[in-house]
Amino acid sequence: MQDLTFMMGNFAAELPGDLRYATTNHMWCRAADGHLRFGFTAYAVRLMQDVYFLDWVVNPGDTVTQLQQIGHIETSKAVADLFAPVGGTIVAFNQELLKDPSGINVDKYGAGWLFEMAGDAGICKDVQEYHQFLADNWEKTQRLIKGKINTED
Amino acid sequence: MSRTRLTVVLSQAQGKNPAKRALEESICAALIMEPGLDVSVVPYLYDLDANHTGRLFLEGVQGDMVVLTWLYPRACFWLLDRDGIKGHFGESQLKPADTDEDDEEASEPEPPKGIGSVEVPDRHIYCLDLRDFNKHEPYIDEVRRIARECKDRREAKLKQWVQGNPTMVQLGSYLRDSEQPVNGKEHPTFQPEELLKQPGRRWYPVIDYSRCTNCMECIDFCLFGVYGVDKLDRILVENQDNCKRGCPACSRVCPEQAIIFPDYKTPAIAGAPVGAITGLKIDLTKLFGGDAQDALQQAALERDRELVNDGRDAVGMTVGMPKRQTGKDQGPKDELDQLTDALDALDI
Ligand code: SF4
Ligand code: SF4
Repeated sequence: MQDLTFMMGNFAAELPGDLRYATTNHMWCRAADGHLRFGFTAYAVRLMQDVYFLDWVVNPGDTVTQLQQIGHIETSKAVADLFAPVGGTIVAFNQELLKDPSGINVDKYGAGWLFEMAGDAGICKDVQEYHQFLADNWEKTQRLIKGKINTED
Repeated sequence: MSRTRLTVVLSQAQGKNPAKRALEESICAALIMEPGLDVSVVPYLYDLDANHTGRLFLEGVQGDMVVLTWLYPRACFWLLDRDGIKGHFGESQLKPADTDEDDEEASEPEPPKGIGSVEVPDRHIYCLDLRDFNKHEPYIDEVRRIARECKDRREAKLKQWVQGNPTMVQLGSYLRDSEQPVNGKEHPTFQPEELLKQPGRRWYPVIDYSRCTNCMECIDFCLFGVYGVDKLDRILVENQDNCKRGCPACSRVCPEQAIIFPDYKTPAIAGAPVGAITGLKIDLTKLFGGDAQDALQQAALERDRELVNDGRDAVGMTVGMPKRQTGKDQGPKDELDQLTDALDALDI
């Protein structure tokens, strides 16, 4: 499938066509060595900006359910809890990122991958569907960002 | 003049982190060499209860004070205020090393919309965050700057006084806070061992009255009798130790983000500065799949967990939930609004 671009205001978020996307988590998914490898999309990285700190609260080998909290991230602009994009088993975390999480900013679709899981990527969407999802939710996302912290949107 | 000296208090970190201890020690060693300072060390401020010697010491300090803590300045300042150690908020000019130019744009803060503190004596309390730098020099420089600022302020006031026309209030408070020991008593001296006695861990909310509008959502929400009101019917964290360790539920319910849990993991709840873009981080949890719950649902869940732990029944969202979102857009913009405007300007 073709690469797509989602315009966040003036910023162009590139969405490679050969990846699948966990839409609600803003993570991409790629099959690698029989596992699923996940990382943040350009859209997510643009919202968060420079990553300062990444922390996982589960261990490789742990079984997680979809949307179970698995970690926490702090960036120059945001903090967020992170959730499992699919149900399954955590296989590995990207050790390089634990040393220097800015790898996420440098190469989000490559060396800046987050973790690998064994599980079913069936709920992940293709690039067109993710692009549509972003477009559908862009208004709401802007509101969420503008909405005050800790409050309802 | 008796109170021309500046009191500097360093509040230690919890635990025994060697890096933190080393920073504390190098700061103290350097401060002791400075003229005109009274330097003291107390344990972790948040953990001091009313009977701790460190608290008694702080309560006795008159005149301007600098407090160095491993807490956000807002958390430190309002924590002291709650304990009756009051003053005006002294603006620190310390900037953490990693803040970028965005901060410089942080314009004059709007007048606060909260109810503020009461019976504030005429002195300033400066809170410096020990997490901003890992070497002592910036702190020493800032303490020196503050000492100068306090001296200038005192001299300006004295001049005004000598030239006449001080209002009664100014005159009264000037004399009380700067010239005469309260009740004729000098500040008692404390033994370092007592001052440094390690307290047990505590956990309780701290209200930032510069934000709090006295809406009473928190007292309605908390079912553990933590909140009360004072003689003036102002919201008060009355029974601090009734609060449930680790629970930050009511901070999510407060419509003004006025409730701080200084030890909570999320900077916004731990009292991160609201003025600076880089200081205040937006919680994007919802964006990453956490949108199963909003803040209120999360607060209700956290509260239920504590109720059940206490052998009581969970109440879900049926009790004490805010009737929020009325008239949100009214009133002057505050720093949080400015922050979001600034994000707008980024055009994301
Ligand atoms: S909910 Fe917040 S604003 Fe309302 S009284 Fe409590 S602390 Fe103050
Ligand atoms: S955190 Fe929980 S127990 Fe503590 S004051 Fe808030 S609602 Fe009450």
